[in-house]
Amino acid sequence: MNWIAQRRRQSRFEQVALPHLDAAYSLARWLTRNDADASDVVQEAYLRAFRYFDSYREGDAKSWLLRIVRRTCYSWLARNRPTELIALDAIDDPTGVNAAGSAQANMGDTETLLMNRSDLRRLDELIEALPPPLREVIVLRELQELGYREIADVTGVPIGTVMSRLHRARTALRRGWDGENIE
Amino acid sequence: MMQCSDARPRLEAHLDNELDEAERAALDDHIASCADCAPEALALERLRDDIRASASAYRAPAALRSQIRAALRRDASGAPAIARGPGWLAVAASIMIAVALGSGGTWLISGDRQRDAIADEVIDSHLRSLLAEHLTDVASSDKHTVKPWFGGRTELSPPGINLAAEGFPLVGGRLDLIDGKPVPALVYRAGKHIINVFVLPAGHGDHPETVHRQGYTLRHWNEGDLGYWAVSDASPDEFSRFEHAFRAAAS
Ligand SMILES: [Zn+2]
Repeated sequence: MNWIAQRRRQSRFEQVALPHLDAAYSLARWLTRNDADASDVVQEAYLRAFRYFDSYREGDAKSWLLRIVRRTCYSWLARNRPTELIALDAIDDPTGVNAAGSAQANMGDTETLLMNRSDLRRLDELIEALPPPLREVIVLRELQELGYREIADVTGVPIGTVMSRLHRARTALRRGWDGENIE
Repeated sequence: MMQCSDARPRLEAHLDNELDEAERAALDDHIASCADCAPEALALERLRDDIRASASAYRAPAALRSQIRAALRRDASGAPAIARGPGWLAVAASIMIAVALGSGGTWLISGDRQRDAIADEVIDSHLRSLLAEHLTDVASSDKHTVKPWFGGRTELSPPGINLAAEGFPLVGGRLDLIDGKPVPALVYRAGKHIINVFVLPAGHGDHPETVHRQGYTLRHWNEGDLGYWAVSDASPDEFSRFEHAFRAAAS
C-alpha cells in the first residue's frame, strides 16, 4: 500500500474510532481498575482495531470498537490478573450453584466495603467487586447506556444472557447498596 | 390484569426501556396497584440513579488521543512500502507553513509531545487539503479578499501576504482544524508545489525549531507575537527561499 493510501486509511479509521475514545477508556478502566493499565489497553485495542479495519464494514462503529476493547481487556486480565477470570465458567451456570458460590465469595468483599460508610467511592468499589462479566454489563448498560442488543453485540453473548447477567449484577449491588442506604 | 409472576421478570427490562408500548403500559398499571412490585421497581430505579449519579464516569486522559494517533502512524509506517514514490513527489511536493499567533494560553506549546501532536495534525491537514482536492474555501490571489474572509470565522487573523513577486503566488485561504479548533490556512503555490500557511496561537520558545516527520520538514519560529510553523517536502533550497520571503514580508 502506498503512503497516500495508508494515510487515507488512517484518516478514515480515526474518523470512525476516535469519537468513541471515552467509551473505550471507560470500559477498559472499569475492567482493569487502573488508569495506566486502561490507557495501555485502549492504545493496544486501537492498534488492533486499526489492523482489523479492512474487515470493518458500515455498521455500529461503537459496538465494533468496544468489542475489540473488551477482548483486549480480557487478554490483559488473562496475562496480568488470571485469578479474576477463574470463576468465569461459573458465571452463566444455569444451575446457579457455582455462580452462587462465586457471588458469595464476592459478597465477602462487599461486606468489608460496607463498613466504610463515608467512602464516596463505595459504589465504585461495589461495582469493582463484581466479577468482570457482571461488571461489564452494568458499565455498558448504566454508564454507557447501551441497549440489550448492543451489549450482546459487544460481549458476544445472547440477549437472554445479557439480561440474566444484569439481573445478577444488580442483585449483588443492591445487597451492598440498598442495605446501606435504608435509614 | 397482569400478575406479579408476570410482572417481576419484566421489571428490569422496563427499567432498561426494552419493553414495547403495550407491555410497558400493562406493567405500569400493575406497579401502580401492587404493594409488592412497586417498592421493587422503585429500588431498581434508585440503584440505577445512584450508579449514574455517583459511579465514576471515566474519560480518556487528554494525552491518550495523541498517543494513539502517533502509535497508529508508527504502526502504519512499519510497512516496508512506506517510502514515497515518484508519483507522490509529483503530486504533493509541497511546503506548508503553520503560523502561530502569540495570544491565548490554551495553545501553549509546552513540551515535545504536544509539539509533535500539532506537527502531526499540521501534516494531516496538509495532506487532507491535497487529497480531498479541497485546497481553498476562498480562491483569490488578492490579500484584500482572502484576509477579510477569515473575519468572524476564527479569532485568529492571518497576515495577508502575496509573494507572487518572489515566485510564490497566493492561491487562496481555507479554514482548517488543528487540535479541534478552527484555524486559518493560507495557500501558496511554488511552481508545482503547494504551500499551506496555518495560523495558530503561539507556543513557547524563541528559537527556531526544525522537526522532521514522515518525509516532511517542519520549521517553527516566532516573530513578534506570531509563531510560524513551516512544513515542506520540497527541496531545501526552495523551502528556505520561501521561508525567507515569508518572514521578510510578515515582519
Ligand atoms: Zn406485583
